[in-house]
Amino acid sequence: MPEPVRVTLTLNGERRTFHVPPGRRLLDMLREDAGLTGTKEGCGSGECGTCTVLLDGSPVTSCLVLAASVDGHDVVTVEGLSRAGRLHPLQEALVSLGGIQCGFCTPGIAVTGAAVLARHENAPAEHARLLSGNLCRCTGYTKVLGALKAAATAGEENRG
Amino acid sequence: MAEGARPGPLGGRHERPDARAKVAGSTRYVADLALPGMLHAALAVSKVPSARVAGIELAAARAVEGVEAVLTAADIPGKNLVGVIFEDQPLLVEDRVRMVGDRLALVAARTPEAAWDAARLVRGRLEPLPSVHDPVAALEAGTTRVHDTGNLVRTFRVVRGDLERAHARAAVVVEAEYHVGGQEHAYLEPQGCLAIPEGRDRITIITSCQCPFYVQQAVARVLGLSLAAVRVEQAPTGGGFGGKEDYPSEPAACAAVLAFATGKPVRLVLPRELDMQASTKRHAVVVRHRWGAGRDGKLRFAEVETFMDAGAYIGLSTVVAERANVSSIGPYDVGAVRVATHVVYTNNLFGGAFRGFGQPQVSWAAEATMDTLARALALDPLEFRRRNVLDGRRRRMCTGQLLPRPVLARECLDRAAELAGWEGFHAKPRAASGARREGMGIGLVLYGCNLHHGGQRLDRSSAVVILQPDGSVVVRVGLTEMGQGNLAACQTIAAQALGVDPSAVQVWQPDTTTVADSGPTVASRGAHMSGLAILDAVNRLRTRLDPIAAELLGCARDLVELSNGFASVRGEPGRRVSVASVATEMAARRIEGIATGWHRSKARAFDAETGTGAPYEFYAIACQIARVSVDEELGIVRVQEVSAAHDVGRVIHRDALEGQIEGGIVQGIGWATTEELKLDAGRLANPNFTDYLIPTAADAPRIKIAVVESDGAGGPFGAKGVGEPSLIPAAAAVRNAVCEALDVEIRRLPLSPPTVVEALGERHPFAWLIAGRKEEEHAGLATADRER
Repeated sequence: MPEPVRVTLTLNGERRTFHVPPGRRLLDMLREDAGLTGTKEGCGSGECGTCTVLLDGSPVTSCLVLAASVDGHDVVTVEGLSRAGRLHPLQEALVSLGGIQCGFCTPGIAVTGAAVLARHENAPAEHARLLSGNLCRCTGYTKVLGALKAAATAGEENRG
Repeated sequence: MAEGARPGPLGGRHERPDARAKVAGSTRYVADLALPGMLHAALAVSKVPSARVAGIELAAARAVEGVEAVLTAADIPGKNLVGVIFEDQPLLVEDRVRMVGDRLALVAARTPEAAWDAARLVRGRLEPLPSVHDPVAALEAGTTRVHDTGNLVRTFRVVRGDLERAHARAAVVVEAEYHVGGQEHAYLEPQGCLAIPEGRDRITIITSCQCPFYVQQAVARVLGLSLAAVRVEQAPTGGGFGGKEDYPSEPAACAAVLAFATGKPVRLVLPRELDMQASTKRHAVVVRHRWGAGRDGKLRFAEVETFMDAGAYIGLSTVVAERANVSSIGPYDVGAVRVATHVVYTNNLFGGAFRGFGQPQVSWAAEATMDTLARALALDPLEFRRRNVLDGRRRRMCTGQLLPRPVLARECLDRAAELAGWEGFHAKPRAASGARREGMGIGLVLYGCNLHHGGQRLDRSSAVVILQPDGSVVVRVGLTEMGQGNLAACQTIAAQALGVDPSAVQVWQPDTTTVADSGPTVASRGAHMSGLAILDAVNRLRTRLDPIAAELLGCARDLVELSNGFASVRGEPGRRVSVASVATEMAARRIEGIATGWHRSKARAFDAETGTGAPYEFYAIACQIARVSVDEELGIVRVQEVSAAHDVGRVIHRDALEGQIEGGIVQGIGWATTEELKLDAGRLANPNFTDYLIPTAADAPRIKIAVVESDGAGGPFGAKGVGEPSLIPAAAAVRNAVCEALDVEIRRLPLSPPTVVEALGERHPFAWLIAGRKEEEHAGLATADRER
C-alpha cells in the first residue's frame, strides 16, 4: 500500500487535515473522510457537474481533482454556502422560485451559481452558458435560470 | 363557490416540502447512507449480446483483497428470476447470455474499489451465438431465436370501422415508414440500493426507485421470503422518468442476495457507464403508416403498424405496447382505424418504461403524418388539425371510446397557437434559403390518464393520515417522489382537505410496512391516485374529528367546516376553534387520530382482441408548438421557443405543474435532437454524457405555458396527470418545425445533424461536395463567413 498523503486545506472556512491514499479523489475525501455528502457523484468523469465544489473560488468537478492536489488551497462545498445557518441567496431563490425537483443536481448548481454571482457575471444571457456544465434532467432549466437571475438582480440592488 | 376561488393552498406556489434539504445538500440519497460493517456490491456482466455459457471462472475475483463473496446463479436462495410480468429473465445467467449487461456474477467487498476490481476479474467462458438486432428482421423466417418461444412476443390491435369504404372516400393517401430511436433516462442519480439483512429471516431494502412494491416482490422471490418479511423503503430518488420503475428490482435483488450470503448490509451503486449500458431504455420502434383524408380536409382512415424492439427480455414491453397501440392516432376523428403493434425480441438492450410509455414514438409518427397530409392537401397544419380534432360533439377516439366531456383539444390547439404567434409567424415572408432557416411546428396529443385497462388490477392506492396531538399531520402514501413533486402534491391535497397550512403536513416517503400496495408510480398517476386515497383517509378521520369540533363550537356536526387552520360553523366564520385545538382535544380523549384511505380506479369495458372500448377512464390533451432555427449547412437544430397548452383539469401545485411541463419539454427536445443511443451489435457505444448528449442550460428554449383548467375530471379536486403529456408532443413539434423550415420530410428520430443534412439531399448547399461530385469546384471554395 502506498504511503498516505497529508492534505491540509481550508474546507468551508475551517482549517482541516486529512491523510488520504495518493489516488484519492477530492470527491471521496469530501464525502468519505469529511462526511460532506452534499456533494454528489453523478458520473465520475467530469461530465454532469453534480460534484461541483469551489476550489479557490472557481467551480471544479471534484471527481476529477486529486485530493492531494488541494493541499494548501481553499475548498467550499454546498454545505459551506450557508452562513450562520442561513441559506445563500441563490439557494433561497431556488427554493422560493421552484427550481428544485429531484434535487440530485441541485447542490452542484447552487455551487456553480454562487461562483457566478460572486464574480458578478450578471448578464442573464450569459447565465445559461455558465451553468451548462451542470446537467439537470428534471427542471428543463427554466426555473433554475429564473432563480439565478433573481438572485443576481437582488445582489445588484444590495450592492447599489 | 367556484373551484378556482376555493380558499386554501390548492393551485398555489407554496414552498415544496423537500426543497430546503435538497438545496442545502442534506437530503440523504442511497449513496449517502452507510452502516458499520457495510459491504459494497459490484456486478460482473457480459460484454457480448448472445452466447452459451460454458462456465464462469471466479478464482481471480475471490483472491482480491477485501472481497467477501462472489456469487453465481447457484447461490440464489429463492428463484433465479426477475421481471415484473414474464418469467423470461434470470437475475444471474445460467446457460445463456441474451444481451450485453446480462449478469454473470455478484461481488461483495469491503470497499467499492475492491468490489469492482474483482468483478472485472470474473471471466465468463462464453461461446458466441448468432444474435439479431433489428426488430423487423427478427420476425423474418429463419432468424435466430432470442428465446425458444420465438421472437414475436405479442401483437396488439385496434380494429374499428369500415376500412374499405373509408379508402374509397379518401382523395389523398400518405404512406410513410418512421424509424424512431430510443432514449436513455439519464436521471442524475445512478441506480442504487442498500440491503440490510436480519439473519435469514427478513430484510430491509432502502432504494432509489419509483415502485417499492415491485422491489418488494422481486426481493421476496429471489430470497424465497414472504412479502411481509421484505421491507422496502424508498430513498430520496434523484430522478426516475420510468427508468426507476421496473429496473431497480434488479440491483435490489442483487444486493439482497449478497446481504443474505454475507449476513452484512450491502450497498450497490451503479457506475454511470454500467447504469447506461445495463438499464432499460425507451423502445426504439419502426412505425408504418397509411393514412387517408378527403378533399374536405377530413381524415378518413388511419392504418398503423408498429414494431417495438423489446430487447432480450420482455420486462414491461407488452404493457408499453398496450399504451402505444391505443395511442396511435391522436385526438382526431377518424372513422376507420387499423392498428397492429408488435412486440419483438432482439439481442439489444431491453426496452422499458420511459415517460410517455410507448406513446411518444407513435404520437411522433402520427403528428408527422398529419403534417404530411396537410401539405398534400395544401392546408395550413393548424387548420388541418382544427378540421379533425375531437370536441364536445365528436368525441370518438381511436378505440371507439367516447371521451368524457369536456374535450379540450381545440382549446389547447388555439391557446398554443396564440401563445406561439402562429398566424403572425406564417404571415411574414421567410427566407427559403440561407444558412439559418426558421420553422414552426405543432405537436398535439391525447393522453390516457393512469393505467391502461390491461393493468387495472394494479390501479389502486393506499394512504395513511395521522393527526398529531399538536395539530400537525403525518401523511403516508404508497406512491413515490422522484422529483416530480408528489410530496408537494400530497401535502397540498391533505392541507386543502383538512383546512390547515401546508407547513403543518409532513408527507413521508413510502415504506411497504406502512401502506398497502399502491401499484407503481407511473402513468402520471402519482398525485391523482395518492391524492384520492388521502381524501378518503381525511373523510374517515373527519368522522371522528368533526363531532369533537362540533362539541367545542356548540353546533351540529354537519355544520363543521375546515379552512385556514380553523374549524368553524358553516355560515358563521367568526365561530371558530383552531384545528390544532381540536386535535389536542381528540388526543386528550384518546380518540383515534389515525385513518387509512383507499382508492381504486373505475372498472371499464375494453375488448383486448379488437382493441376497442375504454382503455382509460379519462384523458388529458396537450398541444405544444415549437419554433426552431436550423443551420442548413451543418444540420444543427436549435429550438428557440416552445408554447405549451395543457389540459390539466385543476392545478394542485403551480410550481410543480410548470416544472413538469418545462422539464418534459426539454427532455422531449433532447430525444428529438441530440439523444441518440448508438448500438453496436447490442452494445451501447456511447454510455456517458460526453457522447450521449442530454440538453444543457444553454440548449433550453424559452417556454410559454397556458394552463387550460376545467371541472369534472376524476382526480383529486378535478386534477389530471401532467408528467407524461408534458413530454409527448415536444418531439413532434420540433420535427414538424424543422421540416417546415427546410421544406423536407424527415422520418427518422433523432434529428441529428447527419439526418437533417441527408434529408436535404440535393438541396444541401454542399450536396455536390458530399456526393463527391464537382470536385474541381472544391479548389475554388471559399469558406463562407456566416453571420451568427
